[in-house]
Order: sequence, then C-alpha cells, then structure tokens
Amino acid sequence: MNLAGLARRNLARRPVRTCLSILGIGLAVGSALALMSLSHSIQDGMREGINEMGDDLVVMQKGASDIFGGFIPERTIERVAAIPGVARASGELFMFAPSADGSSVLAQGWPDTSYLWKKVPLREGRVPDAGEHGVAVLGDAAAAALGKKLGDNILILGDTFKIIGIANYTTAVNRGVTLLPLTDLQKISHRPEQVTMVHLNVARGESPVELKRIKTAIEALGDLSASTANEMLDQDRNFAILDAVSLAISIIAIVMGGIYVLNALVMATQERTREIGIFTAIGWSQRRIMASIVVEGILMCVIGCALGLALSFLAALAFPYIPAIGNLVSFRPSARLIVLVMMAAFGLCVLGSLFPAWRAVRMLPAEALRRI
Amino acid sequence: MNRENESNSYSDAALESPPLIALRNVSRQFDAGAITALTDVDLEIRAGDCVAVVGASGSGKSSLVNLLCGIDYPSAGTVLWKGQPVRKQADWARLRRTRIGIVFQEFNLIPTLTALENVELALFGLGMSTVRRQTRAAILLERVGLEARMHNRVTTLSGGERQRVAIARAVANEPLLLLADEPTGSLDSSNALLVVDLLFKLHNDANMAIVLVTHDEKLAARCRRQIRIKDGHIVESAGMALVAPSIVGAAGS
Repeated sequence: MNLAGLARRNLARRPVRTCLSILGIGLAVGSALALMSLSHSIQDGMREGINEMGDDLVVMQKGASDIFGGFIPERTIERVAAIPGVARASGELFMFAPSADGSSVLAQGWPDTSYLWKKVPLREGRVPDAGEHGVAVLGDAAAAALGKKLGDNILILGDTFKIIGIANYTTAVNRGVTLLPLTDLQKISHRPEQVTMVHLNVARGESPVELKRIKTAIEALGDLSASTANEMLDQDRNFAILDAVSLAISIIAIVMGGIYVLNALVMATQERTREIGIFTAIGWSQRRIMASIVVEGILMCVIGCALGLALSFLAALAFPYIPAIGNLVSFRPSARLIVLVMMAAFGLCVLGSLFPAWRAVRMLPAEALRRI
Repeated sequence: MNRENESNSYSDAALESPPLIALRNVSRQFDAGAITALTDVDLEIRAGDCVAVVGASGSGKSSLVNLLCGIDYPSAGTVLWKGQPVRKQADWARLRRTRIGIVFQEFNLIPTLTALENVELALFGLGMSTVRRQTRAAILLERVGLEARMHNRVTTLSGGERQRVAIARAVANEPLLLLADEPTGSLDSSNALLVVDLLFKLHNDANMAIVLVTHDEKLAARCRRQIRIKDGHIVESAGMALVAPSIVGAAGS
C-alpha cells in the first residue's frame, strides 16, 4: 500500500461525495474549456470562412474597427484589380440583415461577374445569372435553420428573394450565409455603390515579398488597408472584445472551479479529521499527512479533468446539431487550450488540497481523535 | 531495533539513567482555564515499568495518557523523554513513530483498510520497503492471532479482533513505551481478557514499559504500580515503583 492506494480507498469510501466533487471539478474544467474554445472557435471559424474563399489578401477601409465596419467605393475594386500582380479581385458587401420573424441572416453581396460565384460549392440549384435580381443562394446550415428549401422565398430587409441554390460550404460561417447579387443587397441596405471589403488573389502564389509589394500598392490607393485573413481578424475590434470577454468569463469559470475544488477538499478533509488524528497518533509526520491529502486532491483532479475534457468534447460533438450555435461557430477545443486549462486546474487542485492539509495538521491530535 | 541495552528495568543502569518519560509539574486546562483536567502532576515511567492508571470517569486519566504520548500538550509544566524536554510536534511525531505505541479504547483503525494495511500504516516513515512493511505487519498479526484474518477489512472484524489489530499496530515499531487507554472498554469480558493477556505478554516478552488506563481494579492489580487519579491530581501511588536512587533520596529528605 502507498499514499495513492490510501487516497483511492478514501475516495471509494465516500462514493457520493467523491462523485459530486469530481463532477464539480469536471464541470468547472469543462465549462472553462468550452468558453475559451468557443471564443477561439468564433475567430477560427471566421478565419476558416475567409480562407475557404481562397483569398490571398483582403482589402478593407483603413481604420475600420471590424469586418462589418468599413465601406469602400465599388469602383475601388477595379483599381485594385488593375494593380500588377493581382490575379483577380471581387468586392463584397457583408452584413447581418434582418429577415422575417425578427431573425437575421448573414448576408453577402457579390457582383454578377465575381469569380466568387464560380467557387460556390452548390449542393443543389444554381448561382444567379449575370443581371439576375431577386434571387438568393443559402448556405445549407442557414437553409436548415430558416426551414427553407430550393424554390422558397426569403424575406431580407423587407424585400423578397427566391432561393435558387443551396451551397455546401464546409466552414460553419460560410454554411450560415445568404448570398445575394451585390446590387440587390446595396439597394435594400441603402448602400449604393459600396462594398465592405475586396477579396483578391495574387498572380504569383503566396510569396511574402509579392504580398508585401501588392499590399503597399493597394494602400497607396488611399484610405485602404490590405491584409491576410489572419492579420485582418487580429486587428478586428469585435474579436478583441470577444477575446477579452471570453478570457474574463474563463477566469471566472476557473476561479469558481477552483473554489469548488477547495470547498470539496476542505469538506473531504474535515470528514477525515479523525483519520488524520490517527495518522498523527501513529507517528506520521506532518509532511506525510499533507502529502496523503494532496495526493487525494490530485487524484480527484485528474479524474475531474478527464471528465471535463470528455464533457467539452461531447459539447464539441453536440453543438453543430444546435442550429443557434452550429450555424455560426464550429466548436473545437484545441490542444493548446486543453493543456492551458488542465495546468490551471491542476495547480488549483494542488493549492486547494494544500490548504485543508495545512489546516488538518495544525489541529491538536487529541482534538482530532475526539471528532466523530 | 535493539532494545536490550536500554530497557532492562531491573538493572542498576536502568535505575541510574533518566526515566523513559517524566512529567514535571504538568497541568492541563481546557476552555481557557474553565476546565482543569490535570494539576501539577509529577510522574516518572522507567524502562520496563508496568503502571496502571485508575480513577473515575473525567478524573484526568486519558488526559494523562495524551500528554505522555504528545498527542496533547500541557498548559504548564514539562514532559521529558529520557531527561530531555519534548516540546515540538515533530519531535513527538518521531517518538510516536519509533519509541511510543498507543492503544485506544475506540481502536482508531482506518475502516477502509484491511488489518494488514492498518498495521502497515505504523511502519511508514521507518525506511522500510513495501515488502518488508507487509512482511513485518503479517508477523505482528500472527503474533496477536489474526493470521487468518489479516486481509479482511477491519470493519468486518469483531471488537476483540479490532483491538488486537490496534495492538499489533501499536507494537509495530517495537516501542519502549506502550500506552493503553481503556483497551478493554469496548470489549466483552472474554475478549477483554484475551486483549489484556496479550498486552501483558507483549510487555513481558519485549520488556517494554506499559501504562494501562483502566477502571478495572483487578486488571490494575496485575500491574507492578498503580496510580490513582482524582480531580486531576495523583492521589495515590501504590506498588513497586522503579525509582532512581537520587529521587528516592530527594523524596526522603
């Protein structure tokens, strides 16, 4: 028998308390992991969505606070496309637009001649013909969430659009979009001849030197900034706020989890006061007694962390099936986040068990032995 | 551990050497002085001694035993081990680990563990390998007649068996001093006799000093010395005390 064996027996002796404590640790770890993963997944989802479009660079209004915030004159698309080394460019008007019944859709407007229409992975139907108006292509998740199918009508900003295609994108963001002809979206949103951003591909791949040259050339056009998808999202004010909020919530979740762990271990140690008195009476050193309590805390923490990890993975599996979440974000706990949360939980568990252990060994052994 | 040289109770050397444990003007109060358990107690226990502590409930017997093994601390006075004052908790823990064994009325065994594991617990921190600990624990349980039940959880054992496990645990470190606080208090008469015989056998075989707290006058009479406690004072000391010549002289002067 060793300290771990002793701890295992102690945990098994009080199965209800042990299970509740482990569940508490698991929920704390799972929720911290889920919150942090969600925040990162929103950014990753947006990044993947833009990457799925195959952009080398994205052009936005200089100083735009976020991807919805800037507006560029439509004629700028041609000026950008004319820069040597730019293979192709397409404008995009991008916004959350009110639909029927108080819901809103993530609407994207592309020019009739945009190369982006050709890259739409259609599941069924077609994309708009040049000059065609009053039609829309929905991402499959958007169609499912709105309960729409090919041939149905959809109300956007008070205008009716006929659904002529269902797209089968792979990223959560793109699966939730509603694609419209640019002129239609400009009209209904009162943004004539404006786009939110310009997508572009460069002719000679992703050479950093070439990208830098083109970025400089674009920015020389005035009031524009060009960046890769990653750079753009890193500068996005909304994501910075989201990051701060999710970090704050995660800290709260971890601290709450830590307090729960501390409470569970203090209670568990309190119940073992007499037993600790016995250890003292047979000559165990304070260090050995503390070690036995800490080992028990660590054992609960390890099981709790594993449970929390399992819960977060279960959430990752379940969230795509919940339209309100799955339509907007893909939820994947990353290895880096898992390690971070586990380390925080482990540290809290060790600290959380040191405190009751320290309290326990300070008690007079005779007093501890009198406890029931 | 070789005890031969340090615990021959009848040798001159033993009488000349300081007592194994001594209380000097020891008092113990609780609740900020509202309750007095012991007042100005002086007591010496020598190697190989056999002392019965008798007295009514609440007279201070258990408090005395608690002070003798350092699981409680005196409010005033000093406890000396072989002439040296012991004050730190770590020193008391070391003594209980290596020199003092305790048997409680309520057994104080760990219910989740087997008899063997309970005895093994007392051998932690003595630098033994797991195998050696288990072997020694098994030998001790054989000695108290529990070889057939050593792998049983202590919760499945009878009261007498549990107390024998507790005794095996108490003597696992081959103590110089064995303290038994009402060891038969929770047992029926046949089990009580068995446990008492076992304690005296261990005392005789290993020549360890034993302090036995009991209500039972017959049991107390089997000890070489009897100490009676009343209201926290030692009111009577009878029998043959192993007293060092210097102390006899001091008492006579």
